[in-house]
Amino acid sequence: MSGRSTHRSREWFGDWLGSAAVLAALIALWWAASSAGWVSRVFLPTPQATLASLAEGLNLSGRGNGELLAFTLATVSRMFEGWLLASLFGVLLGAAIGVSPVVRAWLQPTLEFIRPLPASALLPLAISVFGLNPAMVLCVVAFGAMWPVLLATVHGFAAVEPRLVEVARCLQMPRAAFVWTIGLPNAMPDILAGMRLSMTISLIVAVVGEMIASQSGLGQAILLAARAFRASELFAGIVLLGLIGFTSNALLALAEKKLLRWQRT
Amino acid sequence: MTEQSLRAWVFPAVLLGLYEAYARRAAALGSEALAPPSAALKAMAGAAVDGSLWHATGFTLGTAALGLLLGAALGVGLGIALGLSRRAARLSLLSIEVLRPVPSVALIPLAMLMFGFGMRMELCIVAFATFWPMLVLVQSAVQQVEPRLLEVSRVLGLSARERAWKIVLPAIVPRLFVALRLGVAVALVVAVTVEIAANPNGMGYAMMIAQQSFEPALMLGWLGWIGVVGFVINAAMLRLQRAVARRMGQVQ
Amino acid sequence: MSDTSFLRFDGVTIRLGGREILSPTSFEVARGEFVCIVGPSGCGKTTLLRAASGLVAASAGGIWRNGRPVSEPSREVAFVFQDYGRALLPWRSVAGNVSLALEAAGIAAAERPPRIAEVLGKVGLTQHAHKFPLQLSGGMQQRAQIARCLAQKPELMMMDEPFGALDALTRQGLQDELARLVRDDGLTVLFVTHDLEEAIYLGDRVIALQADPGPGRPSLARMIDVRIERPRDQLATKEHPEFLHLRRELFAFIEQGHD
Repeated sequence: MSGRSTHRSREWFGDWLGSAAVLAALIALWWAASSAGWVSRVFLPTPQATLASLAEGLNLSGRGNGELLAFTLATVSRMFEGWLLASLFGVLLGAAIGVSPVVRAWLQPTLEFIRPLPASALLPLAISVFGLNPAMVLCVVAFGAMWPVLLATVHGFAAVEPRLVEVARCLQMPRAAFVWTIGLPNAMPDILAGMRLSMTISLIVAVVGEMIASQSGLGQAILLAARAFRASELFAGIVLLGLIGFTSNALLALAEKKLLRWQRT
Repeated sequence: MTEQSLRAWVFPAVLLGLYEAYARRAAALGSEALAPPSAALKAMAGAAVDGSLWHATGFTLGTAALGLLLGAALGVGLGIALGLSRRAARLSLLSIEVLRPVPSVALIPLAMLMFGFGMRMELCIVAFATFWPMLVLVQSAVQQVEPRLLEVSRVLGLSARERAWKIVLPAIVPRLFVALRLGVAVALVVAVTVEIAANPNGMGYAMMIAQQSFEPALMLGWLGWIGVVGFVINAAMLRLQRAVARRMGQVQ
Repeated sequence: MSDTSFLRFDGVTIRLGGREILSPTSFEVARGEFVCIVGPSGCGKTTLLRAASGLVAASAGGIWRNGRPVSEPSREVAFVFQDYGRALLPWRSVAGNVSLALEAAGIAAAERPPRIAEVLGKVGLTQHAHKFPLQLSGGMQQRAQIARCLAQKPELMMMDEPFGALDALTRQGLQDELARLVRDDGLTVLFVTHDLEEAIYLGDRVIALQADPGPGRPSLARMIDVRIERPRDQLATKEHPEFLHLRRELFAFIEQGHD
């Protein structure tokens, strides 16, 4: 028995090594393309240059300007606060709508119309109404990111297993108890999926908002870097944004796994 | 119209009516931010007449379509390859997980740098954005192809190309169209987002210009038009997807 | 007229989709009785059970429990569904699912653990109290559902083909467990099944319904008393002459019903 598990873990380790090797090969390709000039260094800085920009911007060695760190924090906090607000209101409103079939019937078509709308499309309207300031961006982030959570929550509450509804009736459960002990946990997988999507949108709208509203953050930083033809700073910013996306998604996936333990046989 | 489709309009009609009343008052008080829906409609009618509506819409839709074509072609191709070979899927996992989380908007400045403004830059970003979901969904669809069918292809001695074309592709068609529907939605959203952020072309840009020129009616009109276009296209894709599923013998 | 029966069906008629599924049916159930209801598909046995628990309303006639009309589900009447997988909360453990019944009844949190333990002990799931439904076999899931119903401390237990989705061996084990539980707790049970042998094995009385009722062909076609002593045994009872006689009688009747 233990022989099989060591074989499996060896195989798993081999996969990781192979996977890392492929990634290293891609980076090597990047290095070659940039150093040899196959792609102009104006567009494609070398990996070393990118790393140097990162180190300087994050003030890793203590001698850099640490700007990138401040920008990263600004973008992350914008994204996170907006996501938090979006999730809170999305769940509350979604539950209120989803619990009642009547409300759902009247509102569903309107919700379906809002679904395909790009969240960033609200930025011009928000600029008109609120002006160019951080609060405006946060509002749009929160409002735009609210819809995936809201729609997912409505769906989660609408799709309760009818057998469980009957069980609740047999136990003479009051409505509030039903929503709390059956409706909400049943909607949890949908809600968590919605919150993951919402996080992606938060990041996007935060970045776009920074770009067009000239708010301090990674979005503005990479725009300015491109305009000034500073490719390594541009790439450093892209790397950081990718990292933000990766980390936030990974954390949410972890939380999802913990909360939905019961789904695995 | 059935009672159900009439009922769908009640809530938005009420909302629009209230907003119309509110915005008229605001406009009368000199607001440069809010405009009543009636004024927005008039402004859009004007844009339709002078051609700017069609020009901008055509640009956005055309660019989104081309970007989707590129992203989907690459995504489907790689997705099938990775789906068929577990080895390749395992080896590429890390690279995909590293590149996938990069938000497409982060590449706007890079694309700007490389291509300037215009169709190419937007198209590339749309391609990047649609590549990943197509890759993931198609890979998963291929991995879920009935293994029995793949055994049949081995027994019959089909070449790799024949196997992909005659067995795998038809088997994944329903899920392919589900992925395509998602791809279309992403393509539209990303295209408009790029236009809002940087690209001086298309519907998103028209909306931005309207806002910057203090023409709230036109801005609102574009917002509504973007919503309508997105809704219609998504609804059409949904019907297409369902028709394909039915045709391929699946009940959705 | 004083109503001394525990459960009384009075001219209960059920119509679905414009057709009369169950013609006016009347019978009584005494406290502590184990009544099995058999019949082919479409004879209305499941709907009759659901009407008796208040989940659906009869189209005509009435059902009375303890002299009061049944109109709404009540905690006193437990219902065991056939599709146990869908009647359990997948996100709660076995203990959590049992706890649901106690929470609904407003039992204080401190009092729940002993009652949960007691009921899990009765169905033999003590070792699996912390497992989730998806981690359990079909038989164990059904036992978990029964445990939750027992936690309601019901006076009447409705069971809708509870062992229908299980394999033969599991079914036999659960039949004996159920018989023991019912005897220990003095429960009154209404048990719907399509398995004639199961009905005779478990019941004090077997009610046979027939499908497509019409004039001269009432739904309630047969009511037989099972005069076999308890406790019953899977091998010995099924070779008992009375068992064989009843089995033949019911079988012939069901065959007749299939023209």
